Amino acid sequence: MYTLTGVTKLYQKGRRTVPAVRDLSLMIADGEWLAVQGRTGHGKSTLLNLLGGLDRATEGTIELDGIDLGALRETRLTRLRARSIGFVFQTFNLVPTLSAAENVEAALVPVGTGLSERRRRVAAALESVGLGDRARHLPSELSGGQQQRVAIARALVKEPTVLLADEPTGNLDEDTRDEIIALLERLWRERGLTLVLVTHDTSTARRAQRVGVMSKGRLTISVDTRPAREAQPAPAPAPAAPAPASGSA
Amino acid sequence: MFFVTYLRRELRRRMRQAVFVALGLALGIGLVVTVSSASAGVKKAEADVLSSLYGAGTDVTVTGAAPQFKPPSAGGQAPKGATTIQGGPGGAQICQNGKCENAAGQTIDHLVAQYSPIKSAEVASVARLHDVTAATGSLTLTDTSITFPKNFGAVGGSAPPQPSTFSVDGVDTGHTALGPLSSGTITSGHSFSTADANANVAVVDSGYATSNNLKAGSTMAIDKVPFTVIGIVRQAQASSPNDVYIPLARAQALASEAGSGQSLTGDVNTIYVTAASAADIAAVQHEIARLLPHDTVTTASSLASEVTGSVANAAKLANDLGKWLAVLVLIAAFVVASLLVMSAVTRRVAEFGTLKALGWRTRRIVVQVLGESVAMGVIGAAAGVGLGFAGAAIIARVVPTLSAIVPTSTGSFFQQQSVSANGVSRSTSPATATHTVPVPLHPSITLGVIVLAVILALAGGLLAGSLGSWRIARLRPADALARVA
Repeated sequence: MYTLTGVTKLYQKGRRTVPAVRDLSLMIADGEWLAVQGRTGHGKSTLLNLLGGLDRATEGTIELDGIDLGALRETRLTRLRARSIGFVFQTFNLVPTLSAAENVEAALVPVGTGLSERRRRVAAALESVGLGDRARHLPSELSGGQQQRVAIARALVKEPTVLLADEPTGNLDEDTRDEIIALLERLWRERGLTLVLVTHDTSTARRAQRVGVMSKGRLTISVDTRPAREAQPAPAPAPAAPAPASGSA
Repeated sequence: MFFVTYLRRELRRRMRQAVFVALGLALGIGLVVTVSSASAGVKKAEADVLSSLYGAGTDVTVTGAAPQFKPPSAGGQAPKGATTIQGGPGGAQICQNGKCENAAGQTIDHLVAQYSPIKSAEVASVARLHDVTAATGSLTLTDTSITFPKNFGAVGGSAPPQPSTFSVDGVDTGHTALGPLSSGTITSGHSFSTADANANVAVVDSGYATSNNLKAGSTMAIDKVPFTVIGIVRQAQASSPNDVYIPLARAQALASEAGSGQSLTGDVNTIYVTAASAADIAAVQHEIARLLPHDTVTTASSLASEVTGSVANAAKLANDLGKWLAVLVLIAAFVVASLLVMSAVTRRVAEFGTLKALGWRTRRIVVQVLGESVAMGVIGAAAGVGLGFAGAAIIARVVPTLSAIVPTSTGSFFQQQSVSANGVSRSTSPATATHTVPVPLHPSITLGVIVLAVILALAGGLLAGSLGSWRIARLRPADALARVA
């Protein structure tokens, strides 16, 4: 379960300080599907990076199953990503020189799995996304939809608890988009993943249990279809510090 | 396995760049190997020249000073025992010890030392010095003969004859393992034994024997004394070998000192010395110089500076220009390799960001990139060694035989004097000539050079990869992935 408390992320652009995420407090339950919408540049991808430990918050805390991600050293954060967090990107981000199977295998390299076990899991992952017969194909020999399936297989081969998808259908046509979202939804249900999906597409977002809208770095939950017993209030933000006393010496 | 697969695929994807980097490294490595092999070949050529000049086992050589020809005072006498040729109303005459006879049809033959004498007892003194293993003496001589035609001196008669000379070395027959015969190979007959110490026997150099139609069993005249040739010896041409070798005792009995005409019984004029070790040579040289302050003490290194010719020029070329050219090309290859690898890493930033997102540690990604660079280095090393072998083969084929110009002393017997009305005379001292010997150049590639080449190539690959690795280490995954977006 994710617990975000007063999270702010600031970027320095020359002399300007740009707040990508502002004072965000949120809880994401285990096995929940949260969709995040919003316009470009309003902090959706930044939120995903923070959840995945790819970036660190400027202020506030992000806890995953009680572990403060901001307090972890880089090596521990990397190990956490290797074992527990899967990523799916808009542009697939497959290694162009590796075959579909080798791209999936790349996710198991840092886990330290034995060779035969690795091959078994890679084959199973590709089968689960319907690409068992495309294992030896290079990305350049696959369609956009197939490449994204490979990326999904890569994200899930290590059996993570969290799947973070950043506009996974952004580069796909409508039909393929529906296939990919249907695949993600199936895998989410089958594996009980915690799925956070960033999307522009409203119809895709509506499939999620909760929909949040990022606007200028702030998240507003617009739709919550979770059963009442699962819906939990966001953690209360920290009380504001008292104003400094004024007056002359 | 995944490491190797990924590495192979990446190099294949960037085949042109990988080949370019490998070729650049190969060129630098090839140049290093070629220059090293040429340098080794030249050094060996120089060493061959010096070792043959010195003979096997000789570390230090002592030679007497060059003989001084004292011009006679006005109207003065020639030295006692000296043979003079004088012109007069009756024609040319040969005079010795006050007796003169007609020169026509006469042959003068004298055996004269090339250097001033050193007492034989000094050889034992040198042998007793600290750090000296062995010492032996010899007499380096020149046999000069001149035959006057029968009509010499008559009106319309023949022109003055030219002297013919050959070099003679008096060798200690009890110590032939050290000295002028130590480097030679007997090709016919046999060398001296201790029983030959007082015999009129000679060992002749193969070149001189061929020119004068001599073989084992032939007879030849030395200072008008018949000697039997018992063996033919082949010496390295670089050593400017003497023509004839005879027992030291016979040489001492027959020869006289140049200029003074003094007998050389009990004398030598060259001492060959073996030091206990290479490290002791300088000390031995110093001790001998103190013991024999008037004589010349040389070592291989001091003689090396006198050897000139194309072998010396080639050594300079290989050591100076060749070395620096190889270094410059290597540096250029390293720089180009580093820039290309950095450029490739920059293009793969998104890929590395993705790998980090998948949980790859920075160290793992760095090893992958270093592996790719080192692989290019290994390919460059293999190609470079091949280029080096080709370069060495080309040098061996294209470069003409080198030459070494080695100083020698002729020790000519004849002193030219002219006596004018006021009795002033001039004389010439014995000339010092040079001897040019061909020196074949054999570039050699040693295992050490190959190992050096491989190390340099691997270092080049590591250097190129390390700059890229530094870039990866500083990479923030979020920034890398943002580039793709």
